[in-house]
Amino acid sequence: MQNTGCNNQIKSLSETTFIKDLQAGKRTAYSRLLEEYEQRVFHTCLSFVPNREDAEDVAQEVFVEVFRSIHKFKGNSKLSTWIYRISTNKSLEFIRKKNTKKRFAFMQSIFGNEIPLDKTSYFTEMNHPGILLENKERSETIFRAIHQLPEAQRIVFTLHKIDGLSYKEVGEITEKSISSVESLLFRAKKNLQKILANFYKNEN
Amino acid sequence: MKRPKDIQENIEATFDVLDTVNEVKVSPFFKDKTMQRLFSDKEETIPTGFSWFTPKLQFATLVCVLLVNVFGIYQMTKTEYDTNISDFATMYELGEDSKPSLFN
Repeated sequence: MQNTGCNNQIKSLSETTFIKDLQAGKRTAYSRLLEEYEQRVFHTCLSFVPNREDAEDVAQEVFVEVFRSIHKFKGNSKLSTWIYRISTNKSLEFIRKKNTKKRFAFMQSIFGNEIPLDKTSYFTEMNHPGILLENKERSETIFRAIHQLPEAQRIVFTLHKIDGLSYKEVGEITEKSISSVESLLFRAKKNLQKILANFYKNEN
Repeated sequence: MKRPKDIQENIEATFDVLDTVNEVKVSPFFKDKTMQRLFSDKEETIPTGFSWFTPKLQFATLVCVLLVNVFGIYQMTKTEYDTNISDFATMYELGEDSKPSLFN
């Protein structure tokens, strides 16, 4: 028991030194940061943005943001939680921008000569590399349904069900209590049931 | 018309898709690409001697210069200037009326 406490202290000490190195802009520190977090950040981005190239672009933006804002990091939360928070925000920002662009293109196509290629939603471009081909259609349906959820429910559902984070981790990232996370998740599932029921009812 | 049971089965199968998502590895070049981007960005932002001269200050300086110019032009074109000159001329008898005539 005492050993675990000692280990935790060493961990937090080494994290403090690591953060100081990051704040000093040391190349070796960023190399370590990328080694430790590239997979986790990419996985989170891919959960929100189901397309490899886009998810990699967003993940890169996350590290650029970390690089630019590390001096603002006060250590109120764990570094990993802070990075997850940036990943979530960057992914949502990316989807928002894509949707705005698509809506603009759609409006142009109405008033101009272009033919509309999609239904103005980002999720018509879904190409998640981890999804089996036979599940592609269903995964597109579920991702589109998730996208229709209110933002708080969408974040909690994506982080827990797709990214596989625990309630505690989701709570830390979203700065919510575990009971609020549970409640949001419950409502998200209920809403998804409704959206999907409606979709399958109207399907030919 | 679909039966409610079929719809429910479809919904459950759709939810199950989320449990079958395989882990995807990030590209092996991701780290190098990101490192390059981070440190090339850093080199670009090396502060120069005029880094303190932010756009806000630049704008404020421009406004000041314009105000000084406007004030200068206003002063130059003010009628008071002509009055002062004619007063000066009268005082030192340099006006056309007060020219001493050779025949006086």
